[in-house]
Amino acid sequence: MLNIALIGNPNTGKTSLFNNLTGTYQYVGNWSGVTVEKKVGIIKNKKGNLIDLPGVYSLSPLSKDEAVVSNFFVTESFDGIINIVDASQIERNLLLTLQLLEFEKPVIIGMNMTDVAKRRGITINEQKLSEKLGVPVVPVIARSGKGTATINDLLTDDLKVDASFTLNYGPIIEESIDQIIDLLPANLSIPKRWTSIQLLEGNAEVKKYIESLVAGAGIDSIIQATNEQIADETAATNTSKWIYSVRKAFIEELIQTSVVTEESENKSLTDKIDKIATHPFLGIPIFLATMFLMFKLTFDWLGIPLSDILDGFISGSLTTWITNGLNTVGASDFIKAVVLDGIVAGVGGVLVFVPQIFILFLLISFLEDSGYMARAALVMDRTMEMVGLNGKAFIPMIIGFGCNVPGVMAARTIETPRERMLTILLTPLMSCSARLPVYALFVGAFFAKYQALVVFSLYVLGIVVALTLAKIFSSTILKGEFSMFVVELPPYRMPQGKALLRSTWDKGKGFIKKAGTFIFGGSVLIWLLSYSGPAGFDVPMDDSFLAMIGNVLAPILAPLGFGTWQAGASLITGFLAKEVVVSAMNIIYHVPNADSLQGLLSNEFSALSAFSFMVFVLLYVPCLATVATIRKEAGSAKWTWFSVGYALVIAYVLSLVIYQGGKLLGY
Amino acid sequence: MLLTQLNKGERATIIDLSLVNESVRRRLLDLGISEGSQVCLQCKLPFKGPCMVENCGQSLGIRLQDASYIKVEKTC
Ligand SMILES: Nc1nc2c(ncn2[C@@H]2O[C@H](COP(=O)(O)OP(=O)(O)O)[C@@H](O)[C@H]2O)c(=O)[nH]1
Ligand SMILES: [Mg+2]
Repeated sequence: MLNIALIGNPNTGKTSLFNNLTGTYQYVGNWSGVTVEKKVGIIKNKKGNLIDLPGVYSLSPLSKDEAVVSNFFVTESFDGIINIVDASQIERNLLLTLQLLEFEKPVIIGMNMTDVAKRRGITINEQKLSEKLGVPVVPVIARSGKGTATINDLLTDDLKVDASFTLNYGPIIEESIDQIIDLLPANLSIPKRWTSIQLLEGNAEVKKYIESLVAGAGIDSIIQATNEQIADETAATNTSKWIYSVRKAFIEELIQTSVVTEESENKSLTDKIDKIATHPFLGIPIFLATMFLMFKLTFDWLGIPLSDILDGFISGSLTTWITNGLNTVGASDFIKAVVLDGIVAGVGGVLVFVPQIFILFLLISFLEDSGYMARAALVMDRTMEMVGLNGKAFIPMIIGFGCNVPGVMAARTIETPRERMLTILLTPLMSCSARLPVYALFVGAFFAKYQALVVFSLYVLGIVVALTLAKIFSSTILKGEFSMFVVELPPYRMPQGKALLRSTWDKGKGFIKKAGTFIFGGSVLIWLLSYSGPAGFDVPMDDSFLAMIGNVLAPILAPLGFGTWQAGASLITGFLAKEVVVSAMNIIYHVPNADSLQGLLSNEFSALSAFSFMVFVLLYVPCLATVATIRKEAGSAKWTWFSVGYALVIAYVLSLVIYQGGKLLGY
Repeated sequence: MLLTQLNKGERATIIDLSLVNESVRRRLLDLGISEGSQVCLQCKLPFKGPCMVENCGQSLGIRLQDASYIKVEKTC
């Protein structure tokens, strides 16, 4: 079995190629930092595994997702590399290619985005390039799959090893390379010349690895001495600059012989859209309008009508079928109660919201694939800087609107550890799709006329709370001076229908899966707790175990406007997954469909306490899956507990202020 | 002159990056921007917000503060 690594700059189409070569689906998007983890798939020709990695500009990491790649190079074994090069940005892409060639493994260059390059008047002579670099160069369009068959054919058992590529870095560096090679352990698993060059360049990850193998300051002092010598004797001020300039000179020569660029003066579509999207004054309003439009679509225009139809089906035909089915097989009353009052009410009550959630995911996928994400980061940077973050932190937050788990993961692309930690802690405040069913239920009952507006206000509240806390945290517990922001703005691309549907399905699938696991299990558990009590089974619900548990919380929640055991019990179970709050309510109030539940709720809640309840659901503790992700990404139990604790406190305080304040104002 | 002193739409050649913060400079180099690169200031966001710079058909956003450490020479 071959192990082939897919390496290239961010946003050059690596994952698109991966999907094409393996026939699977991984997350694709038009911004830097979509892939933050190593992903493995089996190549269609069954010859081996393909490994998709985060995008990197060079092998010296600056951020956590880049470290994944450097770490992969030093610690894992693989047989070859497919290097994806963006043909429209060939110069800077080749900087990475040179480092890969030095690794002495077979390399295939996939020259991607040839369609974009052509439009810009760039013609690449792959033949010439291939001769100069000594490796195959295959033109591809990863998005449509053109040319991927050729790559597939090249991935044979005997990958051609042509490790002859060497770039001469001049006498000073070459001498240091030789000296370092002598000090490296004889049985080093990675190429010694490559290792020495990376050490001289200051690759922290390689340094860490070598230091774990050989003790002594020998190598360090060579690096030091080289640095001084370079500064004294050449135009460059340090070794890494010198190495960079040697590579750059080599690439320039390469390009002169194998790339022809015709000046095309016509303004691209990207420039035209950018005139508006990053307009000095319209930028932020446009962002907000985009968001608002998203909620209008999700709720008023499309989502609600669709979910009403689904609700009618689940509470009507489906329930009848199941009842008939159960009667035919002669199920006991207990089983009938579990299925109808527990599972159908609990799981069905959440599944009703599938249309809204999928529409939201579709819209988020559209934003991701269009290239707007990086612009949103740019437009928000100034605001984010004021609260101690940078614009890039805004991307995990938008992703978090879909689901907090990938949102927290997306924080890996943030370079400074302090800002990354802040983003991990605050992304759970973004109102994810799992909270949508709760809002949908309550706005339908209490704010029928202003559904989109009320939900929009909750999303905005999440952002405002996150930014306020960012300011507080960054000036107290997560202090630090350094903050950086450099963001690549990819050209706008019209998302393709098929890719869009795949990515929507990929996100939405998780929701359906959750319905079958957490929500299913939660519903059965809640039903059991509501069916049994100290007096045995089939007790009145007010005497059930569930009521006892809820009653412990009720007095604490009373000042927030929802001091009933029902609210308390559903909030506790909501920790599993926030949709379970809705399942619990369906089971507890034991109603056939969402409409009648809404009718019942209006006896228990007022408009004000309903809003206070939604705010509480928005902010109180991240769900179980998010907490687990925070634990993994933050790598610290202390911070994980902190993320749960602060959320509870802030939720309580805000709901209290809203409810009591609202009452004072006479609502 | 400095990158931030350019007007919108003006082109310039970068002549000195040495005053720029280490990590920011690394990123700029990663993106293919070094001494000698041709850039065009596409726009500046208000309230001292970041600015958008183009190089070889690639746009990127950097903070005004960082841009003000980049020395350039106007090309006409
Ligand atoms: N025009 C064009 N777009 C492409 C091509 N390959 C990928 N894309 C788009 O480029 C963006 C980045 O793709 P992705 O596979 O996520 O890149 P990665 O970050 O390198 O994994 C997506 O919007 C793709 O649809 C191509 O050959 N031509
Ligand atoms: Mg990717």
